[in-house]
Amino acid sequence: MIMGKVVSLERNLHPAAIAMPGLSSWASTMRERERIKFAALGMPNRRMEAWKYSDLAQSLRETRTGEWGTTAPAPAPGAFIAAFVDGQFDPVRSILPKSAIVGLPAVYADGHSPYADILSATNADDNHPVISMNLAGAEDGFVLHLRAGEVLQSPLHIHFEWSEGSAPAPEGQHLRLLLQLDAGAEATIVETHSGAPGLATIVTECRLADNARLTHFRFDHLAAPARQTAVTTGTLGENAFYKGFYLSRGAHFCRHDALLDLVGKGAAVEIDGAFLLADGRHCDNTTVITHTAANTTSHQAFRGVLGDKAEGVYQGCVRVRPDAQKTDARQMSRTLLLAPTARISTKPELEIFADDVKCGHGATAGELDANALFYLRARGIAEAEARALLIAAFIAETTATIADPALRATAEKIVADWLDRHAREVVHAQ
Amino acid sequence: MLEIENLHVSVAGKPILKGLSLSVPEGEVHAIMGPNGAGKSTTSYTLAGREGYSVTNGTIRFKGEDITGLNPEERAARGIFLAFQYPLEIPGVSTINFLRTAINSQARLRGEAELDAVDFLKLVRGGAQKLKVSEEMLRRQLNVGFSGGEKKRNEILQMALLRPALAILDETDSGLDIDALKLVAEGVNALRAPDRSFLVITHYQRLLDYIVPDYVHILADGQIVKSGDKTLALQLEEQGYDAVIGQAA
Repeated sequence: MIMGKVVSLERNLHPAAIAMPGLSSWASTMRERERIKFAALGMPNRRMEAWKYSDLAQSLRETRTGEWGTTAPAPAPGAFIAAFVDGQFDPVRSILPKSAIVGLPAVYADGHSPYADILSATNADDNHPVISMNLAGAEDGFVLHLRAGEVLQSPLHIHFEWSEGSAPAPEGQHLRLLLQLDAGAEATIVETHSGAPGLATIVTECRLADNARLTHFRFDHLAAPARQTAVTTGTLGENAFYKGFYLSRGAHFCRHDALLDLVGKGAAVEIDGAFLLADGRHCDNTTVITHTAANTTSHQAFRGVLGDKAEGVYQGCVRVRPDAQKTDARQMSRTLLLAPTARISTKPELEIFADDVKCGHGATAGELDANALFYLRARGIAEAEARALLIAAFIAETTATIADPALRATAEKIVADWLDRHAREVVHAQ
Repeated sequence: MLEIENLHVSVAGKPILKGLSLSVPEGEVHAIMGPNGAGKSTTSYTLAGREGYSVTNGTIRFKGEDITGLNPEERAARGIFLAFQYPLEIPGVSTINFLRTAINSQARLRGEAELDAVDFLKLVRGGAQKLKVSEEMLRRQLNVGFSGGEKKRNEILQMALLRPALAILDETDSGLDIDALKLVAEGVNALRAPDRSFLVITHYQRLLDYIVPDYVHILADGQIVKSGDKTLALQLEEQGYDAVIGQAA
């Protein structure tokens, strides 16, 4: 039974992979390579170490419940927009920075595409099962390429919307993006995810050359029944900077892997994340930050608020290669458990092969502070409101890190909407 | 104003208050003094309605109403204010936002109209100036990084803005140097009014030099063992608890 479905997915990927018309040979070679790899790896499941707390194979067998509809947060006025509806690019709703973007089908059809090498190299020496599944199946997406010194003047919002019954499991729908920033280029990318795909995978690859700066927002606004697993992968050149802000409300299955390699001296990664999970939702933030070059920095701070039966996961792996002296790597995870049935799994992993490094990690999980709650109530603030205030304050420390006022307001609105619906729920242990 | 009758309170199953009775009429300042472990903090927490302080016997009446079963916010809305011995630090909540939330929550609980932003700011600025609470302090996260004196001034500012009928000061003098103590005491004295009562809970007589009580009660082993006027505090200071309680027993 169990194997039956998993095998059927792997079979289903096969015709999908060969069915895409007009593929150039490098693209079909790459897709075939990943298809074979995925068939061998199988759907991610708890027997794989990295998927112990997030069993996608199991999730695909479960019946999904909850409300289907969600509305994606609106983009700021003047922003560029790339819209994907049910896995298809929607030209009507998109406003693209045209000179910088080319669609994935056109890239794949081009036997001499300048992006062929990069797009073929992804996962070539690795075995990430979601990247394999994505690369084998992805037919749409785009390449954003900013030339040396080019600055994308407005943020690019990438909307991924899924209607009810779209991306039916187990075949799923797969989208692939490449963000190539040449030396000194700068961009702000805002991904928004809404709706309830049966199974969606999105791989966003960031290639940051020396001194490039990418600010990457991810607003997971999926509906409760959604299953999505996304990967942000990439490399950073000398003094390149990746700033990530990940805000998620979780879903039936909702995972994001950030796999970033700091290959140039002085490169820096900063990731702030928050997840707000109600009603049995799942959210997995997995990061693998590799410090390959010296004087590189990575700071990660995640905060989670977990309601009834919610399942949160934070796996933070930091690898420090022998040449990466003077590495400064920090990670912190704080979780507020609002119900005795909520569960958080945190797994920090440090693999350090250089001797002159600063690496720190910490994790806390607990209930709302009873003393603080009493203090607020003694001032006449009703219990539900006092709880909401304390939860909002806990998350506000994360959203406060967003420098752009419009994007900070977007994040704060997502948080406020969630708090309005869920923070006043009081679940007592007794 | 406040009538406590034969109050028995247990914390985690352990009896702490064992038949405390006390009456604080309108407009009066009463001090409760007592040695460590007498039940001073339990008294203040119980009056404020803290969870975990189980009233096993007796009643608390406030303005004629039995409030023994009310939760903390209901008591606050009726006009009971507890100035904390150790005001909590609450990261992520600005002092000003906290003040506004508290004032408006109480108004809502009483079925009154909320203050608009302009009136609120006028009210806060006026109160803050008197207590030397700066605009910068108001913008800071609630009590985070405040000195002991700043925290206590912030408590008195809250009291001034919430205008309670009964203010309970729980060891307000602890952690204060003499200048901070004077400033806090001035703030309290400015709020003394014919329709406002105070219950000043303290270990030391020092605070009562500045907030002069109408009556002093000695709490020992969960009961009021002796009451008198302000000279009782001086007597305690001279002779110590053992001698004075010994006389009473």
